[in-house]
Amino acid sequence: MSPPKHDAVLVLEGVTAGYGGLTILRDVSLRLPAGHMVTVVGPNGHGKSTLLKTISGLTQQSGGRIWVGERDLTGMPAHAIAGLGVAHIPQGDLLFPEMTVEENLLMGAYLTTEQAQIEQRFEEVYRLFPKLASRRVQTASTLSGGERRMVGIARGLMMGTQLLLIDEPSLGLAPLVIDQIYEAIGALKASGRSILLVEENPARVAELSDEMHLLDDGHIVWSGLPDELLKRDELLATYLGG
Amino acid sequence: MMDIFFSIALSGLTSGAMYALATLGLSLVWGSMGMLNMAHGAMLTLGGYAAFAVVGQMGLPGPIGFVAALGAGALVGAVLYVFVVKPLLHTHVASFETAVLMATVGLGTALENSILLSFGGQPLSQPVKWEGMLQMGEQGVPHQSMVVIVVALILMGVTAYVLKHTRAGRAIRATTQNRDAAQLLGIPVGRVYLQVLMFSGALAGVCGCLVSSITQLSPTLGADPMLKAFIMCVVAGLGNLPGAVLAAFALAFIEAMVQYVFGGRWGFPVLLTLVILVLIWRPTGLFGRAQVRRL
Repeated sequence: MSPPKHDAVLVLEGVTAGYGGLTILRDVSLRLPAGHMVTVVGPNGHGKSTLLKTISGLTQQSGGRIWVGERDLTGMPAHAIAGLGVAHIPQGDLLFPEMTVEENLLMGAYLTTEQAQIEQRFEEVYRLFPKLASRRVQTASTLSGGERRMVGIARGLMMGTQLLLIDEPSLGLAPLVIDQIYEAIGALKASGRSILLVEENPARVAELSDEMHLLDDGHIVWSGLPDELLKRDELLATYLGG
Repeated sequence: MMDIFFSIALSGLTSGAMYALATLGLSLVWGSMGMLNMAHGAMLTLGGYAAFAVVGQMGLPGPIGFVAALGAGALVGAVLYVFVVKPLLHTHVASFETAVLMATVGLGTALENSILLSFGGQPLSQPVKWEGMLQMGEQGVPHQSMVVIVVALILMGVTAYVLKHTRAGRAIRATTQNRDAAQLLGIPVGRVYLQVLMFSGALAGVCGCLVSSITQLSPTLGADPMLKAFIMCVVAGLGNLPGAVLAAFALAFIEAMVQYVFGGRWGFPVLLTLVILVLIWRPTGLFGRAQVRRL
C-alpha cells in the first residue's frame, strides 16, 4: 500500500494491537507533523504505553498501518524500526543496570560507527543534562530516579534521530525534577525534533503540545488543541478524574 | 609438606582452569538468554573428538586440533540457535525456559550418541597434547597442565575483553541486562543470541579438547565438567561471569584438598554439601542479585 501524501513524519491509520489474545489498542489513527509535539493523555492502563510499543515494534500490531515517512512498519522487528530513526524512550527507563552511565549512552549510539558523530552526540546530551557528565563512570543502578530518567532520555537522544516517542517522562519523579525534565523536552522540541509524548496529566504538557489526543480503553475519544481539552471539564472529570 | 601443598595447588589450578572455562560458556548463555544449555557437556565432548579426528586420524599438526575443537563447538552453537532457539524465541518466557531445556537435553543426547556411533565407546587418547614434564627443583609440572592453565587464562581474558570493549560484546551485555531496551536501540537480539551460542560453543569445544588431554576421550567426557560447571554457576549466581570463574577456582581447590586429605571419593560429596550450604545461606548465589522475573 502506498503511503498517504502529507508532511507528517509518523502516521497511524486504524491501528489495532495487543498481547496474546487480548486487544488493547482499537482503531487508533493519528499523525505527527514534522517538528511538532503531539501528546496522548489518558488514564493509566488504557493503552498509552502499548501505543508507543506498537509503533516501535515491541508489541505486535494486529491491524491498521503505521508509516514513518514513506516506510510502512507493518511486520518489521523492533531493531529494524529503530534503524529507521525511531527513538522510543520507554516507561521506567529500562536502563542497563550494570553498565555505567557512559556505557548506557554509548549503547544509544549502537547503530552509529562513526566516532566523530558519537562524540558530537555525547557533547549534546551532556549539554542538555550537565549532571550526567559528572556521573559518567557511575553504575546506572546506583543513580537516583531523576538521574535515571535523564539517562533514559539521553540514551534515546544518542540514537541521533529526529523522531522521539517518549513514555510518561514525569512518572514517579518529584515536582522539581519533573520541571527539569520538561525543560529538556522543551529544548528538544525547540531544536526541531518531532515528538510523540504520552502522559497521564494533560496540564503539565499542554503548553508544549501542538495537539492532544485523549486515549481511553484503547481508542481515541477526543482530539484537539491542548487549551480546548483543559477547558472541557466534563472530559477531564470523566476520563482523568478531574 | 611443601610438595603436598604444591601438588594440591597444581591440581586445583589445573582443574580450576578447566572448570572455569566450562562454566564461562554455560554461564554466558544462561545469563544472557535465560537458557540452561543441557547440551553444553556434549559440546565439550564434541570439541575433544574434533581435535582427535583432525590430529589423530587425519595427521594434521596439533594447533589445528584446537582450531577444529573451537570450530566444531561454534558450529553446534549455530545449529542450536537455528533449529532450537530461534523457533522458540517468540514463545512466552516461562515456556521458553522449559522448552529450551528439554530441547537441549535432546540435542545433547543426539550428539553424544552420534559420537558413540562414529568413534566407538572405548576410551581414546587425545593426541593434542604436550608430553613431558617441567622440572622445578624437586617438583615436576606436566607440560600439559601448563597448556591447560595458559589456554584457559587466555580465553578468559579474550572473553572479558570482547564483552567489555567491543561493539558486539557490549551488545551482548546490553541484551543480557534488558532485552527490550536493546531492541529499541537497534540491537538485533536474534543475532546477539547466535553470537553468544557460537562463542559459548567455541569455549566448550576448546575446553573439551583440554579436559580430554588430561584424562581420556570418551563419549561421556563432557558430563562431569558440565555438572561441575552447573554447580559453579549456581554457587556464583546466575550469569555472573567473574563470580563463576572465581567459584570455579575456589571449588576446584577445595575439591583437590578434600581429595588429598580424605580420599578421591569424598571430593564430589563435599562439593555438593557446600552447594547446599551456600544456597541455604544465599539463595541467589554468592555474587547473585535477586532476580525479578516478568511473567
